[in-house]
Amino acid sequence: MAETPITAKQPLELSVVIPVGERTDDLAALHAEYRRGLDACGVSYEMIYVLDGSRAAVREALLALDEPPERVRILELAKAFGEATTLMTAFAAARGTKLMTLPAYFQVRSDELPKLLTASKEADMVVARRWPRRGNALERLRREAFHRLLRLITGERFRDLGCSVRVLNRQVIDEIDLYGDQHRLLPVLANRQGFRVLEVDVAQSPHDAFRGRYRLREYLHRVLDVLTVFFLVRFTKKPLRFFGTLGSATFAIGGVAAAVLIAQRLLLGQPLADRPALLLACLFIVLGVQLFALGLLGELIIFTHARQLKEYRVANLVEAVAKDPVPGRERGTEAPRRTAER
Amino acid sequence: MEISVIVPLYNERANVEPLAEAIVAVLAETGLEHEVLLVDDGSTDGTFEAASSLVPRMPSVRVLRLRRNYGQTPAMAAGIEHARGRILVTMDGDLQNDPRDIPLFLAKLDEGYDMVIGWRHDRKDKLWTRKVPSRIANWLIAKVTGVPVKDNGCSLKAYRADVIKAIPLYSELHRFIPAMASLAGPRIAQIKVRHHPRRFGQSKYGLSRIYRVLLDLLTVKTIVGFAARPLQWFVLLALPALAMSAGCIGTSVYRTLANGEESSTPIAGVGVLLGALAFFLMMAGMFAELIYRTGDDRVERFAMLTAAETARAAATARRLN
Repeated sequence: MAETPITAKQPLELSVVIPVGERTDDLAALHAEYRRGLDACGVSYEMIYVLDGSRAAVREALLALDEPPERVRILELAKAFGEATTLMTAFAAARGTKLMTLPAYFQVRSDELPKLLTASKEADMVVARRWPRRGNALERLRREAFHRLLRLITGERFRDLGCSVRVLNRQVIDEIDLYGDQHRLLPVLANRQGFRVLEVDVAQSPHDAFRGRYRLREYLHRVLDVLTVFFLVRFTKKPLRFFGTLGSATFAIGGVAAAVLIAQRLLLGQPLADRPALLLACLFIVLGVQLFALGLLGELIIFTHARQLKEYRVANLVEAVAKDPVPGRERGTEAPRRTAER
Repeated sequence: MEISVIVPLYNERANVEPLAEAIVAVLAETGLEHEVLLVDDGSTDGTFEAASSLVPRMPSVRVLRLRRNYGQTPAMAAGIEHARGRILVTMDGDLQNDPRDIPLFLAKLDEGYDMVIGWRHDRKDKLWTRKVPSRIANWLIAKVTGVPVKDNGCSLKAYRADVIKAIPLYSELHRFIPAMASLAGPRIAQIKVRHHPRRFGQSKYGLSRIYRVLLDLLTVKTIVGFAARPLQWFVLLALPALAMSAGCIGTSVYRTLANGEESSTPIAGVGVLLGALAFFLMMAGMFAELIYRTGDDRVERFAMLTAAETARAAATARRLN
């Protein structure tokens, strides 16, 4: 409303997005800490706090900050949508050419932020990795296991996806649609989309600690997230490869089992009547065909949307007229500025 | 712009320069306005640098670099999208195709064909790992899709740009371009082309693709044959299951009646399972109808491309001559 004219004259260089969910630390202290780090960056910036659902206490704390409205903006979602949606909403409202996400709790030392911003000049996305890292053996094991699994399934070698301190070009989120719980795996998605993603070691905040909130269900969610991303990344354009492989394998198991049973019946004269194994074999065959049919349905879906799902991204085009390589990968300066004020 | 030659490249640094020179020489001879579009599919060996260094010397060369390695089909699709010619020629970047064949393709297109496909009749590759599997695959593809192409694997092809630009190309469907293009029912010609053994670099294919080709073939069959009437396709798939189910259930009912008591034949269970499968497949067909209805690609769009308009124009031209 009132703050738009300022940015219209002079584009902001950085929008810092801080999604505020269930887990928060003392926001006044955190804000002061972030301010110190961001001021040291030497760029013009705004900070957007996005409240995921109504959080009266947090809002009061933020309103109590002594900051001009164009420096600190508060966006409130009407209900809790989850972090991925929160982030996407905030990115749509952000006016900076570069975007930074920070957690609403202490994770890294804020004097490391300039380092990340410098690194982002050479990449499309910079992911912070807290290193050296504190934590007991159990936490280390847990972390190690998750990132091993990630590497096993997606082949990506990120080492601290739990850290939500990231810097990204606007183009990254223009091309990647985040939903569900995929925000954690944004670096993986960006990398697969052909963006350059850097992992930078930063010092861990002294206040960062494992808060023991992780329950079994959350582990399950994490693993399912990885599987979803794996499927999306590998098989979006070829569902039959995925379902077809599962289906053929199931079908083959059932087929072999049925063949053995029938051979036993015909050659050895063993009666089939009391053998539920035949039904099991048949069930496998049926399941295999069903999986296959799902794959065919998937292929139809892809075909009917093939024009929207462009698979490749062009980095640059060199031609005689332009003389110099035309950078296709712009800093995002020309990205349409979107406003979501009300 | 009359002609665009599209060459997808992946780690072909040594081949880029001789290839571009050969193509430009051939095209210059035709006297038509042309461009050579080199698509670098995320090479890591400096192919892009080698290719862009040619641009100042050969102004008709354009180099398109993709952000990472996506594979041959997306690279080809990228080239087709960015090409500006009225006629598009695609070829491999490994110098196994001979650019001197290009004029033959252009002549064929002038005869009124929408698509001209090369046929490596004297192929210089290994027999057992390359030629035999390819022979079988081509036979199978022709059988299943009904498009009798002798050599689907030959990249040297020429198309009318408006037709090929409308054909969806994704995943690894570049082997099935003629079959996919048959959505639009183009007039296809096949001509023999020269084939050279590989001079530089490594072949990027292996035997492992047979399985993938089979799955892709099924995909293409589903799309080309039944995209607009998927229920038929799924019912067709359900028929064997339905027949077997009826047989099994019939047998067990007959036995029960003949024995006068309910016997525990496992065959009844099998029949019920197969019946459920047939039912599932038919429902999947319904679902597929829904998908086609809500999708935004219509088979009619392809029909419009090649239909009456061009045929009549050609006929009129003939009459006038």
